[in-house]
Order: sequence, then structure tokens, then C-alpha cells
Amino acid sequence: MHGDELTWSLPVISYLFLAGMGAGALATSASVLLRSGPSGTYFNIARYGAFIAPIPVSIGCFLLIFELGTFHVGLWFRWINLYRVINLSPMSIGTWLLTFFIGVSVLYAATFLPRNAAPGDKWDLPRRLLAWVCVPLGIGVAVYTGVLLGAMPSRPFWNSPILAMLFLLSSLSTGIAGIMLAWAILHRKGDPEAEHQYRESGYLLTATDILLIALESLVLLLFIMYAHLTIGSVKHAISVILAGGPLATTFWVWVVLLGLFIPAAIELFLIMPRLLYQKTFEVHRSLEVFMPVAVLIGGFMLRYVVVTAGQITYPIGL
Amino acid sequence: MSVRTKKRKLSRRKFMGRLGAATAAAAGAAALPTAARAAAPKREIQYGMLIDARRCVGCHACTVACKSEFDVPLGVNRSWVEYTEKGDHPFAQRTFLPRLCNHCSEPPCVRVCPTGATYKRRDGIVVIDKNMCIGCKYCLQACPYDARFLNPVTGTADKCDFCVHRISQGLVPACVNTCVGRARIFGDVNASDSEISKLIARNAVTVLRKEMGTQPNVFYIGADDSDEHDIHYTGQYIHVNTHRPKKERR
Repeated sequence: MHGDELTWSLPVISYLFLAGMGAGALATSASVLLRSGPSGTYFNIARYGAFIAPIPVSIGCFLLIFELGTFHVGLWFRWINLYRVINLSPMSIGTWLLTFFIGVSVLYAATFLPRNAAPGDKWDLPRRLLAWVCVPLGIGVAVYTGVLLGAMPSRPFWNSPILAMLFLLSSLSTGIAGIMLAWAILHRKGDPEAEHQYRESGYLLTATDILLIALESLVLLLFIMYAHLTIGSVKHAISVILAGGPLATTFWVWVVLLGLFIPAAIELFLIMPRLLYQKTFEVHRSLEVFMPVAVLIGGFMLRYVVVTAGQITYPIGL
Repeated sequence: MSVRTKKRKLSRRKFMGRLGAATAAAAGAAALPTAARAAAPKREIQYGMLIDARRCVGCHACTVACKSEFDVPLGVNRSWVEYTEKGDHPFAQRTFLPRLCNHCSEPPCVRVCPTGATYKRRDGIVVIDKNMCIGCKYCLQACPYDARFLNPVTGTADKCDFCVHRISQGLVPACVNTCVGRARIFGDVNASDSEISKLIARNAVTVLRKEMGTQPNVFYIGADDSDEHDIHYTGQYIHVNTHRPKKERR
């Protein structure tokens, strides 16, 4: 409807999703690595997360460059100007954060490259040291994507302090979903030790993800509730995703139903037998692929709805 | 997590403490832009414009003069005139609202520019350095007046600059020069003896979207700032014609 009028369109939406997912994967990977001891049960979570993290973030950054106005008129390297300045603009801070993020996450991934990488090998110390940097960097990038949008009073839909929190939780959730999806596709069946690790890690990730989804739902509820309870511009802005608004169906079906409720229901169904009855954690092949895919679609659609709604609404009155 | 050597053991409490510190550091970095905001110091010179909407006849001469002065590409405007129609016959009215960059004393566009390409000059004019601008469009989002656009030729952000090339030669901006009703007065609003500051002192003036806190330096006399949303409580027919490709005023 407003597609051709959006100042920031699909490249920015994709970037916000991809950067969030990469940041979430890195923060998850690093914190799991730091939390787990030398047993190595959860080592593969850290490994998958480390390999995933730099890829979506780098793709997202390229998309951002393609979206620049100067790139469209043939000034292909004008974006270098970002590195000639550092100021308090969220975008400037974000540029430097992303640069460090990509650098550190590539180094961190490199420590997992040796075929026999395991806890306690010769790369253990640098891996752990880098992980200590990776956690704040991952959280920083995830939060920054929300701050970038939230910093402007001229966009009442975005101008909420809780938006950054929403994006952080969604980033962690999509990051975990990325790890789960990659592992579900790539893991080999047969070896009992590997199967045991896979089940333990699957349980940890699923149980973490359902907590994150619960928190995300709560933050989303607060975001909508506080906006709806105010009067004026913000209430007008939030009405586009509420009943009767142009983005209501997109938001409630794709973000809330497919992105939050259905994965949460599946995850609850999966973890309950072990949580309550100490049964083995078992996942059907179709579910272990569908569930992260649903989370990822929901994460993308959340960015789509937020970025679009922010740009089709504006302060009322002149 | 069950098997672990004593040496490596990192207690949950310690971990949460460290994680909390890291999060606080990240949040602190994110909070900086707002923390750095302080009241703008009063400038020696602050160029501004006073638009007497009662004298405006809606002829678009300012729009055309601006277009020809800068060779502004098709589909975008540095300066434009909006028509506000309201009421039903016979109690109907059409008013004209010339619009341009407000050269705010607290410009949100300057705050968000990642390269410092947009800045406020000593004389209060907000300008864009075309060689620094990367065209990220962040300032387009941040402007509450929709005064900015992406120039399709240069690929950079663009907007009204009060004709700096003209005023540096002692001339007035092109729109002021051409206005048939003399609805536009240009000058230094901080000089107490300038025509504009006398008129601001003697008249009921308004600025647009004052609640945004941007402290605009384009003042209006007799401007009808009715909005299409007002129909919800006045019940009157209101239509705003922006004369821009974006039909909705934002």
C-alpha cells in the first residue's frame, strides 16, 4: 500500500533481522561456551553459533550499503565516510559496533575451525577471552538495532524505550532458532555420544527459547499497551497494528501467531515430558525444522511490521 | 554443566554479575546520545523566516523560484505550499501554508547524522555537506517536518538552506525575493533591531509542531495548522493538499 513511499524499505528491514539474528547467535554461543565446563556437552552449540554469527551480520551490512542513496548514483565507496567520523548518532555508534562485531566474531569462529576443536585444546584460552568480548558485542548490536529506530521523536511508533528491549529479545530468540535450524539440518545420526549431546543441547536451546519467547510476548504486550493507553500521536501510531489498522493482519498472524504462539506451543510440548517426568528429550524431524523456521519468519515479520508502521505514521497535528 | 573442574568453576552469581556489568556497559553506550543533549546556547546570529500566512495567496511563486534557483529535480521540493480546505458550503475556507526547512535551534537531523554531514552553521542555518553525506536517509526519518528528501541526482540528503549563496552576497533568499504578497520576511531573529524580530515581538506568532521541542526558526502569523486528523473531533470536512508526491502530510 505504502510500499513505494517508504524511506527505509526491504534492505533495512532485512538488515535489522539479519543483524539481530547474528548478534543473538553470537551472544548465545559465547555465553553457552562460558557457562559450560570442560565436559563439552554443549560445545557444539557454541560452535554452530560461532560459525553462523558473522554471516547474516555481514550480509545485512552489505544490504545497508546497497540501500544508500549515494550507492544508487554510482558513488560506491561513499560509505567509507562513516569511518572518518565518530559521533553520538546511533548510526555512528552502530557502525563501529558492527565493525568490531564482524572482526571479533570472525576471530571467534576461527578458534572453532580445527576439526578436533574441543574444550581444553590449545585454542581454549583465546576462545574464552574472545567469548567474553562476544557477549557484550552481541547484546550491543542487538540493542542498537532498536535504538537506531527509537531515537527519533518524529516517528511516534518507534520512539519507545522498550523497542530496543523487544528487538534484543527477538534477536536472542532468532539467534537460537538459527543455531537450532543449522544443527537440525547438519547433524548426523548414529553415534550415541553425538546423539546424547544433540539431545542435551536441543533441550537447553528449546527451554531457553521458550523463556525468551515468553519475555518477548510480555515486552510486546507492554509496548502495545502503553502506546494504546496514551493519547495523541503514539495512540494513533499503534492503531495501525491493532484491529482495523492496515498492518493488523500481518502483525497478528505472522508475528504473534506464527512467530510467537505456535513456536511457544511446540516448545512447551517438547520440553514438558523431560521437565515434568524426566523423560528423554525427543524431537520429531519435522518439528525440529518447522519450529526454528517459524521463529525466524516471526522475527523477520516483526521487523517488517515495526519498520513499515513507523514510516506510515507520523505526529498528528502540525 | 554437571562435570567441571574446581579451577575453571565460574559461579552462577559471578557470571550474572559479569553479564550484568556487560549489559550495563552496552546500555550506557546506547544511552549516550540523549545524555549529551543540553540546552542550545543562544547564538549571536540566527537566521530565520517569518511567514505571514494572511498575505499568502497560494500562487506557488516561491516553490518555482526555489526550483529554478537550485535546479531541484522533479518530484522533490525544498520549499512548497500546502492548501488546507475545511468546512462545508457556505462556511468553507481555504488557507495556504508555505513550508520549508525550519532551521531548528535543536535540529533532530543533526543529532542523528552519522557522518556529521548535516550541521548547524554559526549563523543558525542547517546545511548538508554533499561530500560527507552518504545518503543513509536517517535525517529524513528524524525530521518532524518532512523538510528533507533524497536528491535523486546527487544521492544525498537535500533541503532548504535559506539560499546561503544569496545571503552571503547580501541578497534575500529566492522565495523571499519573489513573493508577490510580501508574505515572507527573512532576517536575523536574534538581532533586536531587525525587521523580523520586531514583527515577531509585535505579532501573535506560531511555529509548527512546537511540542517536538525542536525550536523552529520559521515563524508564522495567522497560519491555519489544521490537520486531517482534526476531523475526528471537529467533525468538519478538512482536506490538506500537500502538492507533493506524498499525498499525506507527515
